[in-house]
Amino acid sequence: MQTMLEVKGLNKSFKDKQVLKNISFEVKKGEIMAILGPNGAGKSTTIRNIMGILYPDEGSITFHNHKGKGIPQNKIGYLPEERGLYKNVKVMDILLYLADLKDYPLDKAKERILDYLKKFDLEGKENVSIEELSKGMGQKVQFIGAVIHEPELLILDEPFSGLDPVSQDIFKEEIRRLRDAGTSILLSSHQMNLVEEMCDRLFMIQRGEKVIYGTLDEVKTEYANFKCTIQGQNDIHLLETIPEVEHIEQDGDVSVLYLTKDVHPSRWVKHLPEDLNIQELSMNRVSLHEIFIDIATDKRLMTKEGEAHA
Amino acid sequence: MRNSMKVAKWEVKRNMKNKSFIIGLFLTPLIIIGFGFFGSWIGGDSEDESNEMTIFIDDQIGIMEELESLVHNSELGWELHATDVSEEDAMTEIEDTEATAYIYLNDASLLEGIVPVYTSEDTDAFFTNQLAVFQGPILAYQMNQLGLTEEQSAVISRGVYFAEMGAETEAIEEAAAPEEASEDDFLARMIPAAFGGIIFISIVFTGMAIFQSASQEKKDKIAEIILSSLTPGELMQGKIIGYFILGLIQAAVLLVFLIPFIMIQTDIPIFEYLFVPETLLFVFIAVLNYLMFAAIFVGIGATIEDVTTSGNFQGIVMMLPFLPFLFIGPVIGDPSGLWAQIGTYVPFTAPGVLLLRLTLLDVWPWMEIILSLAIIIVSTLLFIKLAGKIFKVGILMYGKNATPGEIWKWLKA
Repeated sequence: MQTMLEVKGLNKSFKDKQVLKNISFEVKKGEIMAILGPNGAGKSTTIRNIMGILYPDEGSITFHNHKGKGIPQNKIGYLPEERGLYKNVKVMDILLYLADLKDYPLDKAKERILDYLKKFDLEGKENVSIEELSKGMGQKVQFIGAVIHEPELLILDEPFSGLDPVSQDIFKEEIRRLRDAGTSILLSSHQMNLVEEMCDRLFMIQRGEKVIYGTLDEVKTEYANFKCTIQGQNDIHLLETIPEVEHIEQDGDVSVLYLTKDVHPSRWVKHLPEDLNIQELSMNRVSLHEIFIDIATDKRLMTKEGEAHA
Repeated sequence: MRNSMKVAKWEVKRNMKNKSFIIGLFLTPLIIIGFGFFGSWIGGDSEDESNEMTIFIDDQIGIMEELESLVHNSELGWELHATDVSEEDAMTEIEDTEATAYIYLNDASLLEGIVPVYTSEDTDAFFTNQLAVFQGPILAYQMNQLGLTEEQSAVISRGVYFAEMGAETEAIEEAAAPEEASEDDFLARMIPAAFGGIIFISIVFTGMAIFQSASQEKKDKIAEIILSSLTPGELMQGKIIGYFILGLIQAAVLLVFLIPFIMIQTDIPIFEYLFVPETLLFVFIAVLNYLMFAAIFVGIGATIEDVTTSGNFQGIVMMLPFLPFLFIGPVIGDPSGLWAQIGTYVPFTAPGVLLLRLTLLDVWPWMEIILSLAIIIVSTLLFIKLAGKIFKVGILMYGKNATPGEIWKWLKA
């Protein structure tokens, strides 16, 4: 797959504090690449460096489909984390202005705006003033503003924050559709469940440093071991006799057994003691959410284990 | 530059579609014209009052005829009546009447040299002074009584005056004639200056709007979206150009209303005086002044997200365009004096003071003008550069106003 954006060895400090340490990743054509991390990890700083709003102290940012210097602003769509729109202007006017700034033909833009408004349940709102829109509607208009000029690379910083589930689904669907149409998408988020559903590759960042980088499948097999959740009154000493268990978390009747990396689930189940009290039992892989929480709270039990096995 | 023009176009379009801007656009000239009418109405009114004065004269010395012809020839508009009402009755009479006076001319009062006058309460304050016109006939009567010949009377009533003599004597004699010409001169300078002044003021006020606009950009959090398409420098330039055009629109609307108004109210041939080279210089000064303050305002605007919590520093900077007003008094008092000179060389006051001085001075001090213009141009360029530095960082700083310390740091960067 063709690489659209390449970030290499990014370093950035604010005063004495280094906020980005040697960040490197790529965004390929027609994929959704996610930057994940807790608040303050450096996601927005990374994106602002790409957009030329901040300048890195070290490292390079290359737009492969772009000859010449600087940032191909007209080929990039950007939805910043801190976003808003002029209050006392009409929806159509501001979107046409944004399209005009990107040198996109205005008649074509007008058509696309009307299509998008229809798609986002905002039909007939083109002549409504921005200040009359609800917050969710405003975010939809901002999203339209970011994609109106058919960008080759779309950078979305926390696109889902503050959205209701219905709007989240609309956004997810549209982002997937753009990906399928060949747009490269770089999005940042701290909502793991949403990202897990849709991203092709991910880059997890904590305190300005890379923690995980790879495709979703790779990350899952690498880091997301199986866990077994058992509901029922059980003595922890009994559970500790079960093989291939990394550690156990017990909260009242619920016990969660985190299994080692190479466990074969069906074979492992046979090792369960006969006198175990099982009201309910489920087995699944540790979710991105749990990996994320783990990293964010610095427990890093699984990741360490994962790295040791890697 | 192309991107700047897009921003400028947008700012103009956005404001022209904004109701409050449109209302302000037309309200400004209407208010000015309104004050014009109001002023002439008050002025006219006070004139009328002084004209209507009814004067009853108890003339015991027989000069009524002379007084009547005197009043008739003057423009005092008094109405004279002979009366024989006693002084006591006059006192009660004036209590119920308006603009009425009783004057008692008799030998007894002339002997004392004090003529009793009874006036109603609302009489014009200048009335007693105006009565001095009656002194002539009364004095003539007295001299006649004393038995002086007409010639003697004429010599005495002429009085004695002191006149300075010397090389310039002729000039004094001619002084009356060029007065009219110098009034023409004054208009010839006044009108281009007023034109420059109108542009000056309208764009200074629109310059204030640029501050609002930059601050709003932060408040609405749209800066980052806009800056994904252009550079901060282009955004700033676009705003300055856009608001400049809006200022010109305001000035044009103002003139479209004012010029017909002035032409109706007075008979000054405005256009004759307007299309002169001086106008160009005045407009040039006004434009430079705009660029300087627009740069300062756009920079400061980028440091403020919430005007209500902004610090003193920004408040003081906001007052800078009004600094020339401090110089108005001293400069009118002495257009070539020390204050006028100082004002000409301080960047913030130079355009305003220069404009005022050029209106007042007969001979233009070209050296001072050129030096002052040089100072204005250099400081304008400097402010634009500094504003660019502040704008670049300030516009993306969310959630708080910048402190003077931070601004200083950005300037050094």
